[in-house]
Amino acid sequence: MKKMIKCTINNYPVEVEEGTTIIQAFKKLEQEIAHYCWHPGLSIAGVCRLCMVEIEGNNKLQIACNTVVQDGMVITNQSQKVKDTVRWGLEFHLINHPLDCPICDQAGECVLQEQYMKFGAYQPLMSEDKVKKRKVVDLGSKIVLDTERCILCARCTRFTDEISKTKELGIFNRGDRSEIGIFKNKPLENDYALNTVDICPVGALTSKKFRFQQRVWYLKKAPSVCTGCSTGCNIDVYYNEEGLWRIRPRHNSSINQYWMCDKGRETFKHVNPSGRLKSSFRHTAEQTEKMTTFQALQTLKLDSKKIGLVLTGSYTCEEYDAFLDFFQLHSIYHWKNNPKNFEDYDNFLIRGDKNPNTKGLLESINKRQLKLEDCTQLEQNISHLDLLIVCAPENHKLYPCLEEKINLFLKSKELVWISPHSHTLLQKPINTVWTIPSKTYFEKTGTFINHHGTRQKIKAVASIVDSARSLEEIIHILKTGQTDLTQIASIRDKMKTNYFMEQKGSL
Amino acid sequence: MSVTKRPKKSRYLIPIFGGMLLTFKILLKNLFSRKKMLTLNYPEEHYKYGPRFKGNHILTVKKDGSLRCTACMLCATNCPANCIRITADEHADPNVEKYPISYEIDILRCVFCGYCEEACPVDAIRMGPEWQTAALNGSNFVYDIKHLAHRENLKGGVQSVVDDKERHKAGI
Ligand code: SF4
Ligand code: SF4
Ligand code: SF4
Ligand code: SF4
Ligand code: FES
Repeated sequence: MKKMIKCTINNYPVEVEEGTTIIQAFKKLEQEIAHYCWHPGLSIAGVCRLCMVEIEGNNKLQIACNTVVQDGMVITNQSQKVKDTVRWGLEFHLINHPLDCPICDQAGECVLQEQYMKFGAYQPLMSEDKVKKRKVVDLGSKIVLDTERCILCARCTRFTDEISKTKELGIFNRGDRSEIGIFKNKPLENDYALNTVDICPVGALTSKKFRFQQRVWYLKKAPSVCTGCSTGCNIDVYYNEEGLWRIRPRHNSSINQYWMCDKGRETFKHVNPSGRLKSSFRHTAEQTEKMTTFQALQTLKLDSKKIGLVLTGSYTCEEYDAFLDFFQLHSIYHWKNNPKNFEDYDNFLIRGDKNPNTKGLLESINKRQLKLEDCTQLEQNISHLDLLIVCAPENHKLYPCLEEKINLFLKSKELVWISPHSHTLLQKPINTVWTIPSKTYFEKTGTFINHHGTRQKIKAVASIVDSARSLEEIIHILKTGQTDLTQIASIRDKMKTNYFMEQKGSL
Repeated sequence: MSVTKRPKKSRYLIPIFGGMLLTFKILLKNLFSRKKMLTLNYPEEHYKYGPRFKGNHILTVKKDGSLRCTACMLCATNCPANCIRITADEHADPNVEKYPISYEIDILRCVFCGYCEEACPVDAIRMGPEWQTAALNGSNFVYDIKHLAHRENLKGGVQSVVDDKERHKAGI
């Protein structure tokens, strides 16, 4: 264990480990301190000079991010001297800053905006004209750069140097002409590039996909776990009445630190109402019958049928337990997104297993000592089955083998397809096909177990498609035939009201 | 609640006659000098409000005739009636950067508070002197860009005092 040392910050005594920087001590005490260039996940640059503090017995102000706490230090950032220095440091940042907040995507979550509003620095005191720089610079397929807004904090360059280790970004030129840029024909295309947009304290780096879609103050955020692969990065989902808009990483020191991959940021699209399966259907060769999920589950005859069950890793542990307890089978078919690169790992975050809960599925199966078979065995056995139940993946895009597998499943005498989405192949079958809408991670409460075996709880945020049912609810309906799910406390607690609207109503 | 007692002897007839007197006084005054009468024969006659009256919205235009609005959505955020809907998009010119591809005001929901005008950082929305919103059954009360910026009685649009080119020339 490291030695603990004492210091005083803004009159509060605090004990920190030896080697802690002053800014970390400020964060520990939850004291406010302005900082642009310091980021907990990156090395220290000390270039913005905004984190000034006054240390007793020291004539000059020091930067908090690059000064280590010494025993008995008395530190403050509340004195007039510090405030004046920060005010002038800010003025310095604003000399060439365009302050085009109305069209800047960062407005509302911009630390520069927060600061100049706090100090009331609306009118620059500089009498020279601002230096004009390049706007809307294309950095590749994902990111747009505005060199005027950049405050040269070097967070983005440190990210590409230290975290992604791809070194695409650099600071070019000198003095007031310095700007962030890329090298010729080397666009910013790595798998983690969008993290630079998150850490950019101003609106200099913006994501092409999210740009101008929404103003950030219209969005709410909810904590969740990324379902893009089995790493299970912690995320914040940003949403409003019209749907989900973006995903950003949430700090978790044992899983993803401050980062997430760019593919994971796309995993909100399949949750949005458009394209979702909105009610249950029974497709036969002759006709298509639309019904509610209750009706479908009640019409479905399960008794004395030989049932096969195909499971994927996109459901929660609680759902697997409910399903396996109800069906009491000896063997389960495991549908993997891509068996060949299932075990891939890029040594940072991205894994080849594109399911959030493969470990949870295996755990539920091992607990009951069931046999796990893969889809090649299903090919041989499918003719012996009366009914095949497929708990399909939540996000079809992550399954390149989707169509091939659906064609295989369609060979069964009767198919039950449980998924948030349908597929065109399912709508014109030879035999009977039932499609039953299921919930996405945004709508259900449960546990995911990531690749390392860490159990992570997710919580239902809102319901998006009213007719969608989680596997637990489906089992409950099958068991009791009861339509009123609010009668069951364990299920009622997990249900949320629908918060989304397809269209804003007009008079 | 306070309870007042009615005076025993009520002399209510006197104020009633007082009121009648006033009515007849005005009647006689109006009969003999009709020009000073306050009542208008709407809709044949219209009252003329001052130019600063806050009526139907106008989206101003730049010198080249394109919309001044930058789709910042500050008006929509400030609107207490939540009746402004804007969809933004990327502009081909990097100096403009952001512009609205659709801008709609649901005029039946609008309470004409003028907050949108006040919120706008670039003088892109103004409340004009027009005040008649009446229209036939089935008319469109959701005003779009075409109506807000280019309706006929604006005669080619109202120019904003802030123009991008001048702003850039001034080094702002
Ligand atoms: S970076 Fe911040 S301060 Fe600068 S224009 Fe954008 S929101 Fe405003
Ligand atoms: S682009 Fe953003 S993160 Fe990079 S140096 Fe500029 S302000 Fe910092
Ligand atoms: S006048 Fe008031 S209610 Fe009407 S659009 Fe503007 S802000 Fe909204
Ligand atoms: S009218 Fe003004 S406030 Fe409203 S979006 Fe356009 S520029 Fe912004
Ligand atoms: S945060 Fe300390 S100098 Fe930038």
